[in-house]
Amino acid sequence: MMRFYTSLAVTTLKKRKLRSWLTMLGIFIGIAAIVSLISLGQGLKTAIGAQFAALGTDRIIVQAKTLSFGPPGQGAVATLTKADVNEVEKVSGVDRVATRLIKSAKVDFNEHTQFTFVGSMPKESDGRKLIEEMFRLRTVEGRLLQQGDQRKMVVGNAYLDDAKFGRALQSGDKVKVNGEVFEVVGVLAKLGQPQFDNIILLPEDAMRNLYDLPEEVSAIVVQSEAGQDPEVVGDRIKRELRKFRDVEENREDFTVQTSGQLLETLGTVLDIVTAVLAGIAAISLLVGGVGITNTMYTSVLERTSEIGVMKSIGAKNKDVFFIFLIESGLLGVAGGIIGILIGIGLSKTVEFIAGQALGTGLVQATFPWYLLVGALVFSFVVGSAAGTFPAMQASRLNPVDALRGA
Amino acid sequence: MFEQALRYAARGLAQRKLRSWLTMLGIFIGIAAVVALVSLSQGLKVAIEEQFSKIGADKIFIQPKGTFGGFESNAGQLTLSDKDRLKRVQGVNEVTTYIIKAGLISLDDENVPVYIAGIPEDHDERDLVIEIGTWEIERGKWFAAGERSKVVVGNDFARTELLSRQLRVGDAVTINGREFEVSGVLKRIGDPSTDGGVFINEQALRDLFKMNDEETSFLGVRVEKGADLALVQERLRRELRKAHNVEEGQEDFEVQSPEELLATFNTIFGIIQAVLIGIASISLLVGGIGIMNTMYTAVLERTQEIGVMKAVGARNRDVLLLFLIESGLLGMAGGAIGIAIGMMLSKGVELVASQAFGSPLIRAFFPFSLIFGALLFAFVVGVASGVLPAYQAARLPPVEALRYE
Repeated sequence: MMRFYTSLAVTTLKKRKLRSWLTMLGIFIGIAAIVSLISLGQGLKTAIGAQFAALGTDRIIVQAKTLSFGPPGQGAVATLTKADVNEVEKVSGVDRVATRLIKSAKVDFNEHTQFTFVGSMPKESDGRKLIEEMFRLRTVEGRLLQQGDQRKMVVGNAYLDDAKFGRALQSGDKVKVNGEVFEVVGVLAKLGQPQFDNIILLPEDAMRNLYDLPEEVSAIVVQSEAGQDPEVVGDRIKRELRKFRDVEENREDFTVQTSGQLLETLGTVLDIVTAVLAGIAAISLLVGGVGITNTMYTSVLERTSEIGVMKSIGAKNKDVFFIFLIESGLLGVAGGIIGILIGIGLSKTVEFIAGQALGTGLVQATFPWYLLVGALVFSFVVGSAAGTFPAMQASRLNPVDALRGA
Repeated sequence: MFEQALRYAARGLAQRKLRSWLTMLGIFIGIAAVVALVSLSQGLKVAIEEQFSKIGADKIFIQPKGTFGGFESNAGQLTLSDKDRLKRVQGVNEVTTYIIKAGLISLDDENVPVYIAGIPEDHDERDLVIEIGTWEIERGKWFAAGERSKVVVGNDFARTELLSRQLRVGDAVTINGREFEVSGVLKRIGDPSTDGGVFINEQALRDLFKMNDEETSFLGVRVEKGADLALVQERLRRELRKAHNVEEGQEDFEVQSPEELLATFNTIFGIIQAVLIGIASISLLVGGIGIMNTMYTAVLERTQEIGVMKAVGARNRDVLLLFLIESGLLGMAGGAIGIAIGMMLSKGVELVASQAFGSPLIRAFFPFSLIFGALLFAFVVGVASGVLPAYQAARLPPVEALRYE
């Protein structure tokens, strides 16, 4: 019976080709927009997740609490110091600890001036390794910083660009940082994010002298012991630091974040942005649904006498209802399938262009099965929902009036 | 002729009421979404522009370069001797220090991080910094020049937004371990660093953070009446270059007017707005397709009618015009209703926002250009979607059209 309904619906849709196509066009524009937005959003999330996984999920980062708004550069409420680092080292479950100092600096070379971040590399090899692993630091030229380096520096990949200092930096160049001369010993491989590619790394002692900050720490990077739950270790660190800094729970002037939590926060933000954009795009689907309703009402009107014939030879209300409902559901699904295809094409194109133009692997379209199935089901639901009222009207037609073509 | 065509089109639409309504529904959903998004974002833009204009077009900010990304810089540190030098620059009326630090405010057993701004003791400088900050007292008053243990608090502290107890004039609070008495509460301006900030005597702030007496976070400048802002800006730059001993193009400081700051903001804001409106207009495209569909159906249904019209002398052009007017009407009527719904929507958001968050920044704004533009756009969408069907109708051979069943 269902098959009969379906073939009937297909025949009638084919008869009104132009109208069916236009109606489906409305649906597939909407579905294409939603599919491409969500697939790019999800792809971005997956790519970021993969980067985090490479960093390792056993990392914990301790930072001073900062105010997230207002004039930049004044954010830290109460800075962390080396004494805090000592406390963290004592916490059970902590394997390796590295301290980081990050500041902005004025950098002069070849009569050009740049303002950028400088970061310290710990002098202990344990800590230095931890940072190197965490950011996957490799050089494309020269070497990384080593124990015993004093007035040396390693620069980010962005300094290979002539635009920075008039020519690319290379090993042996003497560069002024806040007025003091450092020698470039290596250039980092591209890391992908501007804030990392623009960084300048200095040996910790030299940097502390340069800024006259013997005690301050911008961030403490912790690796938890193998087999320990980083979340649990993070909580322990939080508890110990609370005691040490004499603050109450929930009133901490510092934050302890595990890489898992960071990832979660980032994922939530991305999800919200994707949801807002897809939500606005979904408005067009609503409009497409209204288009289906309209087409179906017209179809009922045109086939009034046909319905009369069906009813007079024994079709029940239910049968007529289903014939029209299936017709509108089909409009939705067919529009949905084409829409999904176009959406996939769109986001693949965006991925390709982004890969070419920005050289970043971050923009990646992913098509999880639930997105494809979800979009298909959704378009079917929109189609049938849009057809409900017209189908009901058709099924309730009085056979005699309908035959007369009223 | 035109009037007649209009009447014919209106009758055609009225006869197919349900279909016309559904077609218009498609347009007005799209127009409503676009109008609501534009009016809210324009409102936000206007509110922020107003705040900037409150600062006044005669002000200039100076900040160290490279204070970005949440990390402190010591490059281009501004000092009090910079201030004194700049005061002597031609065309400068007044220069003030503007110090901001992050601290902790404690009340009962709560601690929250807070921005603390210093108010200079000098009377003229103090007036200038208050003008630049657009800080207005709601209750109480500013502390006098020598009062170093008084504090004026942002509006969030008069609510329970940051601390669970409301602060009132006369209350005692602890800031970075020192006790202060609340002397005034500011009006709400919607900027979190002001509404959630506290303001104390500059010297008290220096003591609290053990700052040396030379440094300042920013400098604020007011130019003399009638002076050319850009010219004074250039002079300030030159003077500071001398003071900091740097060459042109290598400045370790930035000299900006509010207009320049606003321009940067507007650029970013414009991009976000364009993306949102772009996605919202997809629905308008779909609505346009709906009109096209309806018009094709109308042409089909009225084939005989078209045959009769042509038989009694209607030219192709007349038929084309008839259908174009009909689809244009569909678009415009949909647009008008859509604008009304869009306006209600954004007024609703404004109401909810001001009730729930007390934010004066979210408000709906309906410039003439928006309303007129949306209406025109809806009309254009309608006409454009009607072109193909109308063209088809116009080209129908009269004899076949008459015979059409």
